[in-house]
Amino acid sequence: MTDCNALKSAILRGKRAEVKTIVSAAIEAKEDVNMLIDQGMIPAMSEIGEKFSKGEAFVPELLIAARAMQTGLGLLEPLIAASGRQKKGKVAIGTVSGDLHDIGKNLVSIMLKGADYDVIDLGVNCDLAKFDAAVAQGAQIVACSSLLTTTMPFMKEVADHYRGTDVKVIIGGAPVTQEYCDQIGADGYSSDANSAVKLVDSLLAC
Amino acid sequence: MNPSLATVKPILRPWAGKMTARERFLRQMNFQSFDRSFNMEFGYWDENYTEWKMFRENGIRTEEEANCFLAFDRIECVRGNVWIHPAFPRNETKKDGHCYCTDGNGVLCEILENGGSTIPRFLEPSVKTPEDWKRVKEERFRRDDPARIPDIEALKREFPDDRDYPLGVDAGSMIGKVRDMLTVEGLAYAMYDYPDMVEDMVETCCVLVEDFLDRVLPYFQFDYASSWEDICFKNGPLVTLDFFKNIVVPRYQRIRRKLNDAKVGLWWVDCDGDVRPLLPYFLKGGINCLFPYEVMGCTHPRTLLEEYPGELRIMGGFDKIHLAGGREAIRKYMESLIPCVERGGYIPFCDHRCPPNVPEDDYLYYLNIKQEIFGLKE
Repeated sequence: MTDCNALKSAILRGKRAEVKTIVSAAIEAKEDVNMLIDQGMIPAMSEIGEKFSKGEAFVPELLIAARAMQTGLGLLEPLIAASGRQKKGKVAIGTVSGDLHDIGKNLVSIMLKGADYDVIDLGVNCDLAKFDAAVAQGAQIVACSSLLTTTMPFMKEVADHYRGTDVKVIIGGAPVTQEYCDQIGADGYSSDANSAVKLVDSLLAC
Repeated sequence: MNPSLATVKPILRPWAGKMTARERFLRQMNFQSFDRSFNMEFGYWDENYTEWKMFRENGIRTEEEANCFLAFDRIECVRGNVWIHPAFPRNETKKDGHCYCTDGNGVLCEILENGGSTIPRFLEPSVKTPEDWKRVKEERFRRDDPARIPDIEALKREFPDDRDYPLGVDAGSMIGKVRDMLTVEGLAYAMYDYPDMVEDMVETCCVLVEDFLDRVLPYFQFDYASSWEDICFKNGPLVTLDFFKNIVVPRYQRIRRKLNDAKVGLWWVDCDGDVRPLLPYFLKGGINCLFPYEVMGCTHPRTLLEEYPGELRIMGGFDKIHLAGGREAIRKYMESLIPCVERGGYIPFCDHRCPPNVPEDDYLYYLNIKQEIFGLKE
Protein backbone atom coordinates (compact mmCIF):
# COMPACT_ATOMS: atom_id res chain seq x y z
CA MET A 1 0.00 0.00 0.00
CA THR A 2 1.42 3.37 -1.02
CA ASP A 3 2.32 5.75 1.77
CA CYS A 4 0.46 8.85 0.56
CA ASN A 5 2.16 10.95 3.22
CA ALA A 6 5.53 10.01 1.73
CA LEU A 7 4.25 11.04 -1.70
CA LYS A 8 2.96 14.31 -0.29
CA SER A 9 6.26 14.95 1.49
CA ALA A 10 8.28 14.24 -1.67
CA ILE A 11 6.14 16.71 -3.64
CA LEU A 12 6.46 19.39 -0.97
CA ARG A 13 10.24 19.00 -1.06
CA GLY A 14 10.27 19.05 -4.86
CA LYS A 15 11.90 15.61 -5.02
CA ARG A 16 11.01 14.37 -8.48
CA ALA A 17 12.99 11.15 -8.25
CA GLU A 18 11.23 10.18 -5.01
CA VAL A 19 7.85 10.96 -6.55
CA LYS A 20 8.72 8.85 -9.57
CA THR A 21 9.76 5.92 -7.39
CA ILE A 22 6.62 6.06 -5.24
CA VAL A 23 4.20 6.50 -8.14
CA SER A 24 5.90 3.83 -10.27
CA ALA A 25 5.67 1.35 -7.41
CA ALA A 26 1.99 2.21 -6.95
CA ILE A 27 1.32 1.66 -10.64
CA GLU A 28 3.18 -1.65 -10.50
CA ALA A 29 1.00 -2.69 -7.54
CA LYS A 30 -2.12 -1.61 -9.46
CA GLU A 31 -3.18 0.73 -6.72
CA ASP A 32 -6.09 3.14 -6.95
CA VAL A 33 -5.08 6.19 -9.00
CA ASN A 34 -7.67 8.34 -7.22
CA MET A 35 -6.07 7.56 -3.86
CA LEU A 36 -2.66 8.79 -5.08
CA ILE A 37 -4.16 11.99 -6.40
CA ASP A 38 -6.67 12.70 -3.64
CA GLN A 39 -4.57 11.66 -0.65
CA GLY A 40 -1.05 12.47 -1.86
CA MET A 41 -0.88 14.99 -4.65
CA ILE A 42 -3.76 17.39 -4.08
CA PRO A 43 -3.09 17.67 -0.32
CA ALA A 44 0.55 18.49 -1.11
CA MET A 45 -0.39 21.32 -3.44
CA SER A 46 -3.05 22.47 -1.02
CA GLU A 47 -0.49 22.64 1.81
CA ILE A 48 2.10 24.54 -0.23
CA GLY A 49 -0.69 26.84 -1.40
CA GLU A 50 -1.71 27.60 2.18
CA LYS A 51 1.90 28.33 3.10
CA PHE A 52 2.16 30.58 0.06
CA SER A 53 -0.95 32.48 1.13
CA LYS A 54 0.48 32.95 4.62
CA GLY A 55 3.88 34.12 3.36
CA GLU A 56 5.58 30.99 4.71
CA ALA A 57 6.53 29.72 1.25
CA PHE A 58 7.37 31.62 -1.90
CA VAL A 59 7.42 31.18 -5.65
CA PRO A 60 10.38 28.74 -5.84
CA GLU A 61 8.84 26.34 -3.31
CA LEU A 62 5.54 26.48 -5.19
CA LEU A 63 7.19 25.85 -8.55
CA ILE A 64 9.32 22.90 -7.49
CA ALA A 65 6.36 21.27 -5.73
CA ALA A 66 4.25 21.70 -8.86
CA ARG A 67 7.05 20.28 -10.99
CA ALA A 68 7.33 17.24 -8.74
CA MET A 69 3.57 16.70 -8.82
CA GLN A 70 3.61 16.98 -12.59
CA THR A 71 6.21 14.20 -12.70
CA GLY A 72 3.80 11.95 -10.84
CA LEU A 73 0.77 12.99 -12.87
CA GLY A 74 2.68 12.35 -16.08
CA LEU A 75 3.18 8.73 -15.03
CA LEU A 76 -0.46 8.41 -14.03
CA GLU A 77 -1.92 10.00 -17.15
CA PRO A 78 -2.90 6.79 -19.01
CA LEU A 79 -4.46 5.40 -15.85
CA ILE A 80 -6.35 8.62 -15.16
CA ALA A 81 -7.84 8.49 -18.65
CA ALA A 82 -8.78 4.83 -18.23
CA SER A 83 -10.32 5.41 -14.80
CA GLY A 84 -12.81 7.94 -16.16
CA ARG A 85 -11.86 10.36 -13.41
CA GLN A 86 -13.60 13.71 -13.90
CA LYS A 87 -11.96 17.09 -13.30
CA LYS A 88 -13.62 19.48 -10.87
CA GLY A 89 -14.32 22.02 -13.57
CA LYS A 90 -12.82 23.93 -16.49
CA VAL A 91 -11.13 27.32 -16.16
CA ALA A 92 -9.76 29.55 -18.92
CA ILE A 93 -6.95 31.82 -17.78
CA GLY A 94 -5.04 34.57 -19.52
CA THR A 95 -3.24 37.87 -19.10
CA VAL A 96 -5.38 40.59 -20.64
CA SER A 97 -4.85 42.42 -23.91
CA GLY A 98 -1.80 44.69 -24.04
CA ASP A 99 -0.08 42.96 -21.12
CA LEU A 100 2.63 40.29 -21.36
CA HIS A 101 3.24 39.70 -17.65
CA ASP A 102 2.69 36.07 -16.79
CA ILE A 103 4.22 35.11 -13.44
CA GLY A 104 1.00 35.51 -11.47
CA LYS A 105 -1.09 33.96 -14.20
CA ASN A 106 1.21 30.94 -14.37
CA LEU A 107 1.07 30.43 -10.60
CA VAL A 108 -2.73 30.49 -10.58
CA SER A 109 -2.72 28.03 -13.48
CA ILE A 110 -0.36 25.71 -11.58
CA MET A 111 -2.45 25.81 -8.42
CA LEU A 112 -5.71 25.18 -10.28
CA LYS A 113 -4.17 22.16 -12.01
CA GLY A 114 -2.87 21.01 -8.65
CA ALA A 115 -6.41 21.26 -7.29
CA ASP A 116 -7.69 19.00 -10.09
CA TYR A 117 -9.14 21.60 -12.44
CA ASP A 118 -8.93 21.41 -16.20
CA VAL A 119 -7.11 24.62 -17.14
CA ILE A 120 -7.04 26.23 -20.56
CA ASP A 121 -4.01 28.53 -20.35
CA LEU A 122 -4.53 31.17 -23.03
CA GLY A 123 -1.16 32.81 -22.41
CA VAL A 124 -0.73 36.58 -22.53
CA ASN A 125 -2.18 39.54 -24.44
CA CYS A 126 -5.61 37.88 -24.57
CA ASP A 127 -8.48 39.58 -26.34
CA LEU A 128 -12.17 38.65 -26.05
CA ALA A 129 -11.94 36.27 -29.01
CA LYS A 130 -9.41 34.12 -27.14
CA PHE A 131 -11.61 33.98 -24.04
CA ASP A 132 -14.66 33.22 -26.20
CA ALA A 133 -12.83 30.33 -27.87
CA ALA A 134 -12.08 28.85 -24.45
CA VAL A 135 -15.68 29.29 -23.35
CA ALA A 136 -16.72 27.44 -26.52
CA GLN A 137 -14.52 24.58 -25.28
CA GLY A 138 -16.48 24.45 -22.05
CA ALA A 139 -14.69 26.87 -19.75
CA GLN A 140 -17.04 27.75 -16.89
CA ILE A 141 -14.76 30.42 -15.47
CA VAL A 142 -12.67 33.06 -17.19
CA ALA A 143 -9.71 34.18 -15.06
CA CYS A 144 -8.07 37.47 -16.08
CA SER A 145 -4.67 38.69 -14.92
CA SER A 146 -3.17 42.18 -15.29
CA LEU A 147 -0.08 43.84 -13.89
CA LEU A 148 -0.45 47.25 -15.46
CA THR A 149 -2.77 50.04 -14.41
CA THR A 150 -3.16 50.77 -18.11
CA THR A 151 -4.38 47.27 -19.01
CA MET A 152 -6.70 46.79 -16.01
CA PRO A 153 -9.65 48.47 -17.78
CA PHE A 154 -9.79 45.54 -20.22
CA MET A 155 -10.99 43.42 -17.31
CA LYS A 156 -14.16 45.50 -17.27
CA GLU A 157 -14.70 44.67 -20.94
CA VAL A 158 -14.40 40.99 -20.11
CA ALA A 159 -16.77 41.30 -17.14
CA ASP A 160 -19.29 43.22 -19.26
CA HIS A 161 -18.96 40.71 -22.10
CA TYR A 162 -19.95 37.72 -19.95
CA ARG A 163 -22.49 39.45 -17.72
CA GLY A 164 -25.84 37.66 -17.91
CA THR A 165 -24.25 34.40 -19.10
CA ASP A 166 -23.31 31.30 -17.12
CA VAL A 167 -19.62 32.18 -17.39
CA LYS A 168 -18.04 33.64 -14.25
CA VAL A 169 -15.24 36.20 -14.54
CA ILE A 170 -12.55 36.38 -11.87
CA ILE A 171 -9.65 38.82 -11.75
CA GLY A 172 -6.25 39.26 -10.12
CA GLY A 173 -2.88 40.97 -10.48
CA ALA A 174 -0.69 43.42 -8.59
CA PRO A 175 -2.79 46.58 -9.06
CA VAL A 176 -6.14 44.75 -8.80
CA THR A 177 -8.22 44.91 -5.62
CA GLN A 178 -11.57 43.69 -4.32
CA GLU A 179 -12.75 47.28 -4.63
CA TYR A 180 -11.85 47.30 -8.32
CA CYS A 181 -13.58 43.94 -8.76
CA ASP A 182 -16.77 45.35 -7.24
CA GLN A 183 -16.46 48.48 -9.34
CA ILE A 184 -16.33 46.61 -12.66
CA GLY A 185 -18.83 43.95 -11.63
CA ALA A 186 -16.56 40.91 -11.93
CA ASP A 187 -17.63 37.76 -10.11
CA GLY A 188 -14.58 37.50 -7.91
CA TYR A 189 -11.08 38.64 -7.02
CA SER A 190 -8.22 36.77 -5.43
CA SER A 191 -5.03 38.17 -4.02
CA ASP A 192 -2.86 35.11 -4.63
CA ALA A 193 -2.77 31.77 -6.42
CA ASN A 194 -4.06 29.74 -3.49
CA SER A 195 -6.99 32.06 -2.87
CA ALA A 196 -7.83 31.76 -6.56
CA VAL A 197 -8.42 28.04 -6.09
CA LYS A 198 -10.75 28.72 -3.15
CA LEU A 199 -12.57 31.33 -5.20
CA VAL A 200 -13.08 28.94 -8.10
CA ASP A 201 -14.21 26.23 -5.64
CA SER A 202 -16.81 28.59 -4.22
CA LEU A 203 -18.04 29.81 -7.59
CA LEU A 204 -18.45 26.26 -8.84
CA ALA A 205 -19.71 25.18 -5.39
CA CYS A 206 -17.27 22.30 -5.13
CA MET B 1 25.30 67.86 -18.35
CA ASN B 2 23.87 66.69 -21.66
CA PRO B 3 24.21 69.60 -24.17
CA SER B 4 20.69 68.93 -25.54
CA LEU B 5 19.32 70.12 -22.21
CA ALA B 6 20.42 73.66 -23.05
CA THR B 7 17.49 73.90 -25.46
CA VAL B 8 14.91 72.81 -22.87
CA LYS B 9 12.76 75.67 -21.59
CA PRO B 10 11.39 74.75 -18.15
CA ILE B 11 7.68 75.33 -17.57
CA LEU B 12 8.09 75.31 -13.81
CA ARG B 13 10.43 77.30 -11.59
CA PRO B 14 12.88 75.41 -9.39
CA TRP B 15 11.61 75.18 -5.82
CA ALA B 16 13.10 77.87 -3.63
CA GLY B 17 15.61 76.63 -1.09
CA LYS B 18 18.32 77.56 1.36
CA MET B 19 20.59 74.59 0.81
CA THR B 20 22.30 73.08 -2.18
CA ALA B 21 20.64 70.00 -3.63
CA ARG B 22 23.53 67.90 -2.31
CA GLU B 23 23.26 69.22 1.26
CA ARG B 24 19.51 68.85 1.23
CA PHE B 25 19.61 65.30 -0.10
CA LEU B 26 22.19 64.12 2.41
CA ARG B 27 20.51 65.79 5.38
CA GLN B 28 17.03 64.62 4.42
CA MET B 29 18.15 61.03 3.92
CA ASN B 30 20.11 61.04 7.17
CA PHE B 31 17.24 62.15 9.41
CA GLN B 32 18.70 65.65 9.86
CA SER B 33 16.93 68.98 9.44
CA PHE B 34 16.54 70.28 5.88
CA ASP B 35 15.15 73.40 4.24
CA ARG B 36 12.53 71.64 2.10
CA SER B 37 12.06 68.24 0.54
CA PHE B 38 14.33 67.13 -2.28
CA ASN B 39 12.30 67.54 -5.49
CA MET B 40 12.62 64.62 -7.87
CA GLU B 41 10.59 62.07 -9.81
CA PHE B 42 11.35 58.64 -11.27
CA GLY B 43 10.37 59.33 -14.87
CA TYR B 44 7.60 58.39 -17.27
CA TRP B 45 6.40 55.68 -19.60
CA ASP B 46 7.38 56.16 -23.23
CA GLU B 47 3.73 56.88 -24.07
CA ASN B 48 3.72 59.97 -21.82
CA TYR B 49 6.19 61.67 -24.15
CA THR B 50 3.77 61.37 -27.07
CA GLU B 51 0.43 61.58 -25.25
CA TRP B 52 1.07 64.46 -22.86
CA LYS B 53 0.68 67.73 -24.74
CA MET B 54 3.25 69.58 -22.60
CA PHE B 55 5.94 67.05 -23.51
CA ARG B 56 4.89 66.65 -27.14
CA GLU B 57 4.69 70.37 -27.93
CA ASN B 58 7.94 71.22 -26.17
CA GLY B 59 9.97 68.43 -27.72
CA ILE B 60 10.54 66.60 -24.42
CA ARG B 61 11.49 63.02 -25.26
CA THR B 62 13.67 61.74 -22.43
CA GLU B 63 13.62 61.56 -18.66
CA GLU B 64 16.65 63.83 -18.49
CA GLU B 65 14.85 66.45 -20.57
CA ALA B 66 11.68 66.05 -18.50
CA ASN B 67 13.63 66.55 -15.27
CA CYS B 68 14.99 69.83 -16.65
CA PHE B 69 11.59 70.83 -18.11
CA LEU B 70 9.87 70.38 -14.74
CA ALA B 71 12.79 71.97 -12.85
CA PHE B 72 13.54 69.08 -10.50
CA ASP B 73 16.58 69.00 -8.23
CA ARG B 74 19.56 67.47 -9.96
CA ILE B 75 20.78 64.01 -8.96
CA GLU B 76 23.31 61.92 -10.87
CA CYS B 77 24.90 58.47 -10.77
CA VAL B 78 28.12 56.98 -12.16
CA ARG B 79 27.18 53.76 -13.89
CA GLY B 80 29.51 50.79 -14.18
CA ASN B 81 29.86 48.01 -16.72
CA VAL B 82 29.12 45.36 -14.11
CA TRP B 83 27.01 42.82 -15.96
CA ILE B 84 27.14 40.92 -19.24
CA HIS B 85 29.58 42.30 -21.82
CA PRO B 86 29.27 41.98 -24.70
CA ALA B 87 25.52 41.48 -24.50
CA PHE B 88 23.85 38.91 -26.72
CA PRO B 89 22.86 40.43 -30.08
CA ARG B 90 19.17 41.31 -30.28
CA ASN B 91 17.32 39.34 -32.94
CA GLU B 92 13.66 39.88 -33.73
CA THR B 93 11.47 37.35 -35.51
CA LYS B 94 7.78 36.87 -36.24
CA LYS B 95 5.92 33.57 -36.15
CA ASP B 96 2.22 32.74 -36.21
CA GLY B 97 1.24 36.35 -35.61
CA HIS B 98 3.53 36.72 -32.58
CA CYS B 99 6.73 38.76 -32.29
CA TYR B 100 9.79 37.33 -30.59
CA CYS B 101 13.23 38.61 -29.76
CA THR B 102 16.39 37.44 -28.09
CA ASP B 103 17.32 40.01 -25.48
CA GLY B 104 20.76 41.10 -24.30
CA ASN B 105 20.83 38.32 -21.72
CA GLY B 106 20.20 35.70 -24.39
CA VAL B 107 16.60 35.08 -23.33
CA LEU B 108 14.00 34.36 -25.99
CA CYS B 109 11.08 36.71 -25.31
CA GLU B 110 7.66 37.44 -26.75
CA ILE B 111 7.09 41.14 -27.36
CA LEU B 112 4.15 43.22 -28.54
CA GLU B 113 4.31 44.06 -32.24
CA ASN B 114 3.04 47.59 -31.67
CA GLY B 115 5.45 48.27 -28.80
CA GLY B 116 3.68 49.28 -25.60
CA SER B 117 5.20 49.54 -22.17
CA THR B 118 4.59 46.03 -20.91
CA ILE B 119 7.70 44.02 -20.20
CA PRO B 120 8.37 41.14 -22.59
CA ARG B 121 7.17 37.63 -21.83
CA PHE B 122 10.32 35.67 -21.03
CA LEU B 123 10.17 32.27 -22.68
CA GLU B 124 13.48 30.46 -22.94
CA PRO B 125 16.83 31.29 -21.33
CA SER B 126 20.07 30.45 -23.05
CA VAL B 127 21.64 29.55 -19.70
CA LYS B 128 20.00 26.45 -18.26
CA THR B 129 22.86 24.21 -17.15
CA PRO B 130 26.31 24.67 -15.56
CA GLU B 131 27.84 24.00 -18.99
CA ASP B 132 25.83 26.88 -20.51
CA TRP B 133 26.91 29.16 -17.69
CA LYS B 134 30.58 28.15 -17.99
CA ARG B 135 30.55 29.07 -21.67
CA VAL B 136 28.67 32.36 -21.22
CA LYS B 137 30.85 33.33 -18.26
CA GLU B 138 34.03 32.83 -20.27
CA GLU B 139 32.67 34.76 -23.24
CA ARG B 140 30.71 37.57 -21.61
CA PHE B 141 31.63 37.99 -17.96
CA ARG B 142 35.39 38.51 -18.16
CA ARG B 143 36.81 40.56 -15.30
CA ASP B 144 39.72 41.62 -17.51
CA ASP B 145 37.47 43.00 -20.25
CA PRO B 146 38.91 46.49 -21.00
CA ALA B 147 35.35 47.78 -21.47
CA ARG B 148 34.85 47.37 -17.73
CA ILE B 149 37.45 50.03 -16.92
CA PRO B 150 35.81 53.44 -16.32
CA ASP B 151 37.31 56.61 -17.80
CA ILE B 152 38.08 58.39 -14.55
CA GLU B 153 39.30 61.61 -16.19
CA ALA B 154 36.11 61.97 -18.24
CA LEU B 155 33.99 61.24 -15.19
CA LYS B 156 35.90 63.82 -13.15
CA ARG B 157 35.19 66.41 -15.81
CA GLU B 158 31.52 65.44 -15.88
CA PHE B 159 31.13 65.32 -12.11
CA PRO B 160 33.59 67.79 -10.54
CA ASP B 161 34.43 67.71 -6.84
CA ASP B 162 32.72 71.05 -6.23
CA ARG B 163 29.35 69.86 -7.56
CA ASP B 164 26.28 71.00 -5.62
CA TYR B 165 24.10 67.97 -6.43
CA PRO B 166 24.17 64.39 -5.10
CA LEU B 167 26.23 61.86 -7.03
CA GLY B 168 25.77 58.12 -6.67
CA VAL B 169 27.77 55.06 -7.57
CA ASP B 170 26.47 51.93 -9.25
CA ALA B 171 26.47 48.94 -6.90
CA GLY B 172 25.00 46.60 -9.48
CA SER B 173 22.76 43.64 -8.88
CA MET B 174 23.54 40.41 -7.04
CA ILE B 175 20.46 38.39 -7.99
CA GLY B 176 18.01 40.44 -10.07
CA LYS B 177 20.16 40.25 -13.18
CA VAL B 178 20.70 36.53 -12.59
CA ARG B 179 16.91 36.21 -12.53
CA ASP B 180 16.78 38.19 -15.78
CA MET B 181 19.20 35.73 -17.36
CA LEU B 182 17.59 32.52 -16.06
CA THR B 183 13.93 33.69 -16.04
CA VAL B 184 11.77 33.44 -12.91
CA GLU B 185 10.98 29.76 -13.40
CA GLY B 186 14.54 28.99 -14.50
CA LEU B 187 15.99 30.57 -11.36
CA ALA B 188 13.52 28.71 -9.12
CA TYR B 189 14.50 25.37 -10.62
CA ALA B 190 18.22 26.19 -10.82
CA MET B 191 18.35 26.99 -7.08
CA TYR B 192 17.37 23.35 -6.49
CA ASP B 193 18.97 21.63 -9.47
CA TYR B 194 22.24 23.58 -9.77
CA PRO B 195 22.84 25.53 -6.55
CA ASP B 196 26.58 25.82 -7.18
CA MET B 197 25.94 27.38 -10.59
CA VAL B 198 23.58 29.98 -9.18
CA GLU B 199 26.01 30.81 -6.39
CA ASP B 200 28.78 31.25 -8.95
CA MET B 201 26.54 33.60 -10.92
CA VAL B 202 25.95 35.68 -7.78
CA GLU B 203 29.66 35.62 -6.97
CA THR B 204 30.44 36.80 -10.50
CA CYS B 205 28.04 39.72 -10.08
CA CYS B 206 29.74 40.57 -6.81
CA VAL B 207 33.34 40.56 -8.07
CA LEU B 208 32.41 42.68 -11.08
CA VAL B 209 30.86 45.28 -8.75
CA GLU B 210 33.84 45.07 -6.38
CA ASP B 211 36.24 45.63 -9.29
CA PHE B 212 34.24 48.66 -10.40
CA LEU B 213 34.07 50.13 -6.91
CA ASP B 214 37.82 49.67 -6.49
CA ARG B 215 38.31 51.67 -9.68
CA VAL B 216 36.02 54.61 -8.86
CA LEU B 217 35.71 54.98 -5.09
CA PRO B 218 39.21 56.49 -4.64
CA TYR B 219 38.40 59.35 -7.02
CA PHE B 220 34.99 60.59 -5.88
CA GLN B 221 33.11 61.34 -2.69
CA PHE B 222 29.87 59.64 -3.59
CA ASP B 223 26.65 60.49 -1.78
CA TYR B 224 24.85 57.21 -2.29
CA ALA B 225 25.11 53.78 -3.90
CA SER B 226 22.47 52.39 -6.22
CA SER B 227 21.47 48.77 -6.77
CA TRP B 228 18.73 47.08 -8.75
CA GLU B 229 17.19 43.72 -7.92
CA ASP B 230 13.45 43.45 -8.74
CA ILE B 231 13.47 40.07 -7.02
CA CYS B 232 9.97 40.27 -5.51
CA PHE B 233 6.48 40.28 -6.93
CA LYS B 234 3.12 40.95 -5.29
CA ASN B 235 3.25 37.79 -3.18
CA GLY B 236 6.83 38.13 -2.02
CA PRO B 237 10.31 37.04 -3.09
CA LEU B 238 11.14 35.14 -6.26
CA VAL B 239 13.97 33.37 -4.39
CA THR B 240 13.89 31.31 -1.23
CA LEU B 241 14.69 33.10 2.00
CA ASP B 242 17.50 30.62 2.74
CA PHE B 243 19.10 31.32 -0.60
CA PHE B 244 18.84 35.06 -0.12
CA LYS B 245 20.18 34.89 3.43
CA ASN B 246 23.05 32.49 2.76
CA ILE B 247 24.13 33.37 -0.77
CA VAL B 248 23.11 36.95 -1.52
CA VAL B 249 23.47 38.73 1.84
CA PRO B 250 27.19 37.86 2.31
CA ARG B 251 27.90 39.47 -1.08
CA TYR B 252 25.99 42.59 -0.06
CA GLN B 253 28.12 42.69 3.07
CA ARG B 254 31.30 42.63 0.97
CA ILE B 255 30.01 45.59 -1.06
CA ARG B 256 28.95 47.36 2.13
CA ARG B 257 32.49 47.11 3.56
CA LYS B 258 33.86 48.90 0.50
CA LEU B 259 31.17 51.56 0.70
CA ASN B 260 31.88 52.08 4.40
CA ASP B 261 35.58 52.51 3.69
CA ALA B 262 34.64 55.20 1.17
CA LYS B 263 32.19 56.83 3.61
CA VAL B 264 29.14 56.13 1.45
CA GLY B 265 26.31 55.67 3.93
CA LEU B 266 23.19 55.55 1.81
CA TRP B 267 22.64 52.47 -0.37
CA TRP B 268 19.34 52.06 -2.14
CA VAL B 269 17.87 49.10 -3.95
CA ASP B 270 15.24 49.20 -6.66
CA CYS B 271 13.04 46.21 -5.87
CA ASP B 272 9.34 46.25 -6.75
CA GLY B 273 6.68 43.99 -5.23
CA ASP B 274 6.25 42.84 -1.65
CA VAL B 275 9.75 43.35 -0.26
CA ARG B 276 8.77 42.80 3.38
CA PRO B 277 10.10 39.23 3.68
CA LEU B 278 13.49 40.34 2.29
CA LEU B 279 13.73 43.66 4.09
CA PRO B 280 15.52 42.38 7.22
CA TYR B 281 18.09 40.75 4.96
CA PHE B 282 18.59 43.85 2.82
CA LEU B 283 19.29 45.75 6.03
CA LYS B 284 21.60 43.02 7.31
CA GLY B 285 23.51 43.21 4.03
CA GLY B 286 23.92 46.98 4.36
CA ILE B 287 21.23 48.18 1.97
CA ASN B 288 19.31 50.83 3.88
CA CYS B 289 16.95 52.46 1.38
CA LEU B 290 14.13 51.34 -0.92
CA PHE B 291 13.88 53.19 -4.24
CA PRO B 292 11.45 53.91 -5.90
CA TYR B 293 9.46 52.12 -3.26
CA GLU B 294 6.34 50.67 -4.91
CA VAL B 295 3.20 50.67 -2.77
CA MET B 296 0.91 48.28 -4.65
CA GLY B 297 1.71 44.75 -3.59
CA CYS B 298 3.35 46.03 -0.40
CA THR B 299 2.20 48.71 2.02
CA HIS B 300 2.14 52.43 2.73
CA PRO B 301 5.71 53.72 3.23
CA ARG B 302 4.82 55.00 6.69
CA THR B 303 4.24 51.44 7.91
CA LEU B 304 7.76 50.35 6.97
CA LEU B 305 9.42 53.54 8.23
CA GLU B 306 7.72 53.01 11.59
CA GLU B 307 8.77 49.37 11.66
CA TYR B 308 12.44 50.17 11.04
CA PRO B 309 12.89 53.63 12.64
CA GLY B 310 16.19 55.35 11.99
CA GLU B 311 17.39 52.37 9.99
CA LEU B 312 15.34 52.24 6.81
CA ARG B 313 15.03 55.07 4.32
CA ILE B 314 12.51 55.21 1.48
CA MET B 315 12.40 57.19 -1.74
CA GLY B 316 9.24 57.16 -3.87
CA GLY B 317 6.15 55.64 -2.30
CA PHE B 318 3.49 57.90 -3.84
CA ASP B 319 1.04 55.24 -5.02
CA LYS B 320 0.50 55.57 -8.77
CA ILE B 321 -3.05 54.25 -8.35
CA HIS B 322 -3.86 57.37 -6.33
CA LEU B 323 -1.98 59.55 -8.81
CA ALA B 324 -4.45 58.34 -11.45
CA GLY B 325 -7.39 58.67 -9.07
CA GLY B 326 -8.15 62.37 -9.49
CA ARG B 327 -7.26 65.50 -7.53
CA GLU B 328 -8.94 64.62 -4.28
CA ALA B 329 -7.14 61.28 -4.18
CA ILE B 330 -3.84 63.01 -5.00
CA ARG B 331 -4.16 65.56 -2.21
CA LYS B 332 -5.29 62.98 0.31
CA TYR B 333 -2.42 60.63 -0.48
CA MET B 334 0.12 63.48 -0.43
CA GLU B 335 -1.13 64.48 3.02
CA SER B 336 -0.70 60.89 4.20
CA LEU B 337 3.02 61.24 3.44
CA ILE B 338 3.55 64.27 5.70
CA PRO B 339 4.60 62.17 8.74
CA CYS B 340 7.14 60.31 6.58
CA VAL B 341 8.78 63.52 5.34
CA GLU B 342 8.72 65.02 8.83
CA ARG B 343 10.36 61.91 10.27
CA GLY B 344 13.22 62.14 7.75
CA GLY B 345 14.86 59.49 5.63
CA TYR B 346 12.08 59.83 3.10
CA ILE B 347 11.68 61.66 -0.24
CA PRO B 348 8.21 61.55 -1.83
CA PHE B 349 7.70 60.87 -5.52
CA CYS B 350 5.66 58.56 -7.75
CA ASP B 351 6.41 54.96 -6.86
CA HIS B 352 7.53 54.08 -10.37
CA ARG B 353 7.50 55.68 -13.78
CA CYS B 354 4.35 57.77 -14.08
CA PRO B 355 1.94 55.89 -16.38
CA PRO B 356 0.05 57.54 -19.25
CA ASN B 357 -3.36 56.98 -17.62
CA VAL B 358 -2.53 59.93 -15.35
CA PRO B 359 -3.93 63.09 -17.02
CA GLU B 360 -1.14 65.63 -17.45
CA ASP B 361 -3.16 68.36 -15.73
CA ASP B 362 -3.52 66.09 -12.71
CA TYR B 363 0.20 65.40 -12.82
CA LEU B 364 0.92 69.13 -12.73
CA TYR B 365 -1.57 69.42 -9.86
CA TYR B 366 0.34 66.63 -8.09
CA LEU B 367 3.63 68.50 -8.51
CA ASN B 368 1.99 71.69 -7.29
CA ILE B 369 0.51 70.01 -4.21
CA LYS B 370 3.86 68.42 -3.48
CA GLN B 371 5.51 71.83 -3.51
CA GLU B 372 2.70 73.35 -1.44
CA ILE B 373 3.13 70.72 1.26
CA PHE B 374 6.83 69.89 1.11
CA GLY B 375 8.35 73.03 -0.46
CA LEU B 376 10.13 75.83 1.42
CA LYS B 377 7.96 77.43 4.08
CA GLU B 378 8.61 81.16 4.14
